[in-house]
Amino acid sequence: MNNKANFWQILLFVAIPCIPLLIFWIIPLFVSVWLSFTNWDYISPTYEYVGLDNYIKLLKDASFLQALLNTLFFTAGTVIPTIVFGFIFAVMLNRLRRNVVFLQGLMFAPWITPMIGMSIVWSWMFDPQVGPINQFFSLLGLPKLNWLTDSDTAMWAVIIVTVWKNIGWAMLFFSDALTKIPQDLFEVADIEGASLLAKVRYILIPLVSPTTLFLFIILSLDSLQAFDQINVLTQGGPAGSTRTLLYLYYEFAFQQFNMGTATAVAVLILIISAILSFLSMKISKKYVYY
Amino acid sequence: MAKTYTMEKTILFIILLCIGLFMFYPMVWMILSSLKTTDEVLGSSMTFLPSDPQWSNFPRALEAAPFLRFLWNSFFTASVIVLVQLFLSSLLAYALSHMEFKGRHALFMIVLSTYMLPGAATYVPSYVIIARMGLMDSLNGIIVSNLANVFTIFLLRQNFLKVPRELIEAARADGASEWLILWRIVAPLSKNAMINASILSFIGNFNNYLWPSLITKSEENYLISVGLNRFFSTQGTFADTFPLLMAATALSVVPLLLVYFILQKYFIGTVSTSAGIKG
Repeated sequence: MNNKANFWQILLFVAIPCIPLLIFWIIPLFVSVWLSFTNWDYISPTYEYVGLDNYIKLLKDASFLQALLNTLFFTAGTVIPTIVFGFIFAVMLNRLRRNVVFLQGLMFAPWITPMIGMSIVWSWMFDPQVGPINQFFSLLGLPKLNWLTDSDTAMWAVIIVTVWKNIGWAMLFFSDALTKIPQDLFEVADIEGASLLAKVRYILIPLVSPTTLFLFIILSLDSLQAFDQINVLTQGGPAGSTRTLLYLYYEFAFQQFNMGTATAVAVLILIISAILSFLSMKISKKYVYY
Repeated sequence: MAKTYTMEKTILFIILLCIGLFMFYPMVWMILSSLKTTDEVLGSSMTFLPSDPQWSNFPRALEAAPFLRFLWNSFFTASVIVLVQLFLSSLLAYALSHMEFKGRHALFMIVLSTYMLPGAATYVPSYVIIARMGLMDSLNGIIVSNLANVFTIFLLRQNFLKVPRELIEAARADGASEWLILWRIVAPLSKNAMINASILSFIGNFNNYLWPSLITKSEENYLISVGLNRFFSTQGTFADTFPLLMAATALSVVPLLLVYFILQKYFIGTVSTSAGIKG
């Protein structure tokens, strides 16, 4: 049995560590919800309650709907390739015995680098004239693209940078999960004459499913909050084609100081992440094998 | 049989090496570009390697903006944040794993749900709080607002739970205080988890951009990413300063990368170990 903690112990071990959590996480979350029902503009000391006006205005606003769709597209477009390639690379690495750490090191390096710095590098790599990407494309006989200034390709450019940065991270998590799979499972599968695909389908995928779920939640939350790469590469443009909800929130809050509308966007981002987490938990009960 | 086995491994190794080099290429391109002349990057004489490495691009970049100051700011704030986080998170993680009090489960659920929510949603109120505390435009503001790290709390709680109950009970029976049990028994046994949490948090805080850019206004308080992005938005559009810009970017990317390659095995272990925590 544990000891029942006394007042001083609670103060030291619980209350004090909770102060920063309370001041910069929990209170701001509730204040955000409250502000979203006001028309506060940050500068004036007064504000009025406007009920659901901020939300109604947003839902009627075409640029909000565009941002919502962009966010969903960006999230799916980054999370799925990151998980799929991370898994494939990990499975390939798992077959090797030597040089594994060296290869993992190369693939994981992008994750260490600052997103701002590397986005600046990528913005030049995407340059239509001098960038290596178009040079590579013309080598393959593909058309040169105006990556960042064309609203058809700008989102893909942002997705490429985001996936590039996170693949190594997903790969390491899968590598760890794969090393924990008992080898005799494969031996049994070999005796039964299972094909490679069958082994992947019936052994690997089910047994790494907790990792997949974890990565899905974390990467989705990460994508919902993506900012640095969008800020450097496109500033939400061209024609709003890379403006996500978070970017819209940033523009409302810290460029227009329209705090009411901004916090309404924040609350909607919160709701989306809550739904996402909830759904993942539901799905996990059915499909994840612990 | 053995021969096809080696063959397969060799092919696999070559494919993976290509993928790895491909992923590492942006960093190589950045460093090569930082050593070129403007003409070599943009002109007709485009080459892969710089013909005559322009090391002077680096002192020129340092002259254009105080990047060493920015690097120090990032290093300093990230270090202080990690140390305080580690201290506070250890206390809370210990309480959540080995102490009994009313509302422990509720507190854990609150911490858990905070982990699932995007931090950006807190920026508007936190901005006001920082302003009210008089910490706007200061390194202290960056430090104070980043002290809570839910991920670290989780990682530590998960590892503290692995410390055998009997060990803690025995220490209590011998009259050891909870403080002593935490720092003399539980923390040393969870040393790896603590180092892992520190490395991950340090990288995040060193590279942090959005929040620090909102609450710092004067150049002397910029973190490296903030300073670099300001430099980029003022210089980046002029093509002829491109090698200079790449030199400045290299200054922001290379320090952590160097540490990473020296301690590579350790970094890789870090992420894999933290893979042990799942929700």
